[in-house]
Amino acid sequence: MRAVVTGAARGLGEAVAVRLAADGASVALIDIGREVERTAGRISPASEAGQVIGIVADVADETACDAAIAQAAGALGGVDALVNNAGVGGPDTHVVDTAFRDFWRVVQVNLGSAFLGSRAAARIMIEQGSGGAIVNIGSIFGQQGVAGGAGYCASKAAIALLTHSLALELAPHDIRVNTIAPGNMATEMHWDELRSRAAASGTTFEQQVDRVLRGVPLRRHGTGADVAGAIAWLISGDASYVTGQTIGVNGGVWLS
Amino acid sequence: MAVSGSAEPSTAAAGARDAPAGRMAGRRALVTGGVSGIGLATVRRLRAEGAQVVTLDRRPPGPDAPTGDRTAHVAADVTSPPQVAAAVREAARLLGGPADVLLNAAGVYRIRPMLDLSAAEWDETLAVNLRGPFLVGQAFAAALIEAGLPGAIVNIGSTAALVADAAEPSAHYNASKAGVLALTRQMAVEWAPHGIRANAVCPGVIDTPMLRLMDNPAAGQAYLEAGVPLRRLGTADEVAAVIVFLASTEASYLTGVAIPVDGGSTAI
Repeated sequence: MRAVVTGAARGLGEAVAVRLAADGASVALIDIGREVERTAGRISPASEAGQVIGIVADVADETACDAAIAQAAGALGGVDALVNNAGVGGPDTHVVDTAFRDFWRVVQVNLGSAFLGSRAAARIMIEQGSGGAIVNIGSIFGQQGVAGGAGYCASKAAIALLTHSLALELAPHDIRVNTIAPGNMATEMHWDELRSRAAASGTTFEQQVDRVLRGVPLRRHGTGADVAGAIAWLISGDASYVTGQTIGVNGGVWLS
Repeated sequence: MAVSGSAEPSTAAAGARDAPAGRMAGRRALVTGGVSGIGLATVRRLRAEGAQVVTLDRRPPGPDAPTGDRTAHVAADVTSPPQVAAAVREAARLLGGPADVLLNAAGVYRIRPMLDLSAAEWDETLAVNLRGPFLVGQAFAAALIEAGLPGAIVNIGSTAALVADAAEPSAHYNASKAGVLALTRQMAVEWAPHGIRANAVCPGVIDTPMLRLMDNPAAGQAYLEAGVPLRRLGTADEVAAVIVFLASTEASYLTGVAIPVDGGSTAI
């Protein structure tokens, strides 16, 4: 298994890369931050069989993304799986108070990087002729709207239909495309959002955490390992008849 | 039947990839409809990954059923409350503790245009496909909650719960499977505080005895080419692989979801 994970310097992307490497995959970690090289270095000794490399690139930039995926494929000897995890939050303001460039930046990074990464990897996978799997990272907030989250919600909802369309286009090549939609995850991006909600509403961070957990039937935040387990399954042969889907990993939060 | 959960070499067919040996070690599984089709494939996969399994079915196990010290069978009709209660108790005795994995795979499929559909046939299908998972799920969860143990339920929905089918009219079946998805979400929310997860798979056209699509091979092949992006039938092993993932701790933050295993047919 030769896998590429974007946005992999920390958080969910790092957790996914750690898991895939532990399963014996060769993994290329791509991130806009230089720390991705240190992250790859940390993971490397844990890898059973494969190699682990870090690539610094902005996957929301067309030229840079194409070059990074090509570099990853060159280093790993091909690409069997791509996890489009790169993304940003924000702008956490109501539409009437949001500058277009701030709205557009979120859509460009979250949706644009999924498009660019998928396109570059799919071209390589089709050329290889041995199938493959692409996993996009959506969100519970791509399945329901939230006040102050228009840009983020729209970007993640768009990823679900990008996935859907790509699945149909790539099925003849035995390339499966699915989205994992995490719920409230124990990540810095989520804590930052709760801090900003607390500041905006005159409440405490702890009150915001409590409020979120009251809406999660399993009564806890998701972890990187939760998402990594689902992705490891989805790119494996155990999901060989699953394509075009958006699968929630959210502790049941979508339900009530 | 041995209570030991230690993984043993298994001759059972693995799923679509080499089964992570021991992922289900120590788990006690109850599988309704476990003597054929997706149920039987899941029994094999659960055993291959180290679980003990009790099958619950009106029918006896067939000659191709796995045998050995980690498999047993109880005969029961899933539509009968007293039979279900007795069977779940007997399963717990055979397993050495209450089952902590439940697969509700017992089901019936009948094609009948709605204008010709009798109330009796509607009731029979709803009884097996929807009342059954409710009754077995209730008894399963009650025993786990009383013991203070976590567990996982997987129900079998269908792509027919998500989209209509003009070629194989089956309103009673489709409604029963849509009901299963609502039941699954409700199980997830009501039993999450007890550490019990509930999810569903929605199989598409799967190569099992229940499949009618290929009764007319030419029409079936045409459907696969036009209606299934991956352009082939799925196998029971491919569905079993998803079921066992959902039952395993790999899916510990998934509850209330319904995963189509359909080669992309509902993505069209």
